[in-house]
Amino acid sequence: MQHSTPEQLALAALREPLPPEDAAHLERCDTCRAEVARLRRAPDLLSVPQLAAPGAAVPPPPRVWEAIAAATGVRTSPATDAPGTPELVAVPVPAAPDEAPGGTVSPLRRRRRPLLLAAAAAVAGAVVGAGAVAVVQSAGDDDETVATVALDLLPEASGVADVVVRDDGSRVLELDLDAPAPEDGSYYEVWVIDRSVQGMFPLGAVEPGTQSVELPDGLDLAEYPLLDVSVEPLDGDPTHSGVSVARGDLDA
Amino acid sequence: MSRAPALSRPVVGSVRPVDHAPGTRSGVHPDDAEIGRRFAAGEEQALAWAYERWGGQLHGMAVRAFGPGPDAEDVTQQVFIAAWTGRARFRPDDSPLPAWLVGICRHKIADAWARRDKQRREAEAALTEAQARPGGPVTAGVDTAATDRVLLLDELDHLGQPQRGIIELAFFEDLTHAQIAERTGLPLGTIKSHIRRTLERLRARLEVDGAALHA
Repeated sequence: MQHSTPEQLALAALREPLPPEDAAHLERCDTCRAEVARLRRAPDLLSVPQLAAPGAAVPPPPRVWEAIAAATGVRTSPATDAPGTPELVAVPVPAAPDEAPGGTVSPLRRRRRPLLLAAAAAVAGAVVGAGAVAVVQSAGDDDETVATVALDLLPEASGVADVVVRDDGSRVLELDLDAPAPEDGSYYEVWVIDRSVQGMFPLGAVEPGTQSVELPDGLDLAEYPLLDVSVEPLDGDPTHSGVSVARGDLDA
Repeated sequence: MSRAPALSRPVVGSVRPVDHAPGTRSGVHPDDAEIGRRFAAGEEQALAWAYERWGGQLHGMAVRAFGPGPDAEDVTQQVFIAAWTGRARFRPDDSPLPAWLVGICRHKIADAWARRDKQRREAEAALTEAQARPGGPVTAGVDTAATDRVLLLDELDHLGQPQRGIIELAFFEDLTHAQIAERTGLPLGTIKSHIRRTLERLRARLEVDGAALHA
């Protein structure tokens, strides 16, 4: 059997799509898959939204500079109270000649970028996507909707979720997911995630359309305020794939 | 399929001059490279300029990781304090000052995670002893992720160019190898080969030092 080249396996570890013959080989070859898994740990640990290249600027309060000046003994001070917001250049690689914006973009990769978008939006204090977020009283019965959240991350996926408290105090997530059918070998899963995007709690597999998902008693939604729908490969790995299609903030 | 909006992030990879309002700041504030040289030389004014120019985006990174508040402010101030006290390690010819500051910021974020992780595990251990209760929340990175991140960022610091810039574009800008080739002007084969060698090097660091650390 002809194994994939080390270069192709490294690209697979970065979750880049491989040429068909390599992709097919990887499906069959335990040796190559094991190699990819070993190579993948570093990118999986570092390609997280919190470590990504800087995005939106947030002016630090004046006490931050005061602490810096106190610790360094520097007696100068910034010219303005709030630092400016020029582009921060993150990577010192020589630039190619001007590229037309969008001219060279590959088909959207199923990687971590959706999480990045979500994180950036959370910083802005905004719910991802359009739609009202409100505490509403549902009409007609005694069940109370305590949080409604709009979900929108990828252009082709969106949704709305309500947390409904039943008479007996149990809670259910009413999720209306508007998304294409998952690709073969994958499924959607709904999660609640904490603000640091470190802790997360899987609530189960979901499908496009409307459904109810039971919330475990004792799950503190204040601690896990981000509602997230991910695409999970059927690979037996119970952790979040890192590929989210929709996310909203229950606290917003 | 539509483009992922974040891929339209402006080109990075060269230091672009910052536009100052004509006649106001020109002549008062030097360009980024000049700030970098003066920073390396230990001129106090350069620290203030660096803060003024990049403090907002670095604080934005810290806020993205920890939310607004004391933790993020702590990271931001640590970045500038560490950069100033460690300025002897800054090489203006290798890397623009803002890129160097971003690298320090990643370290500080990862360090803070590692501290939290340790505290959480100590608290969980205490809790487990108090009540052996199965089925707590699944927590990402409950194993060695936090300390492994610290190791990996340290290993990135030891990479030369262009390897470091290439892997940072893949990890932190989410570019494909083809996009990296386009961005850097380097041949595809060169990019692929650097990516492979760097991933193998990072794996070795995890499997050797990481194993020793967690043993």
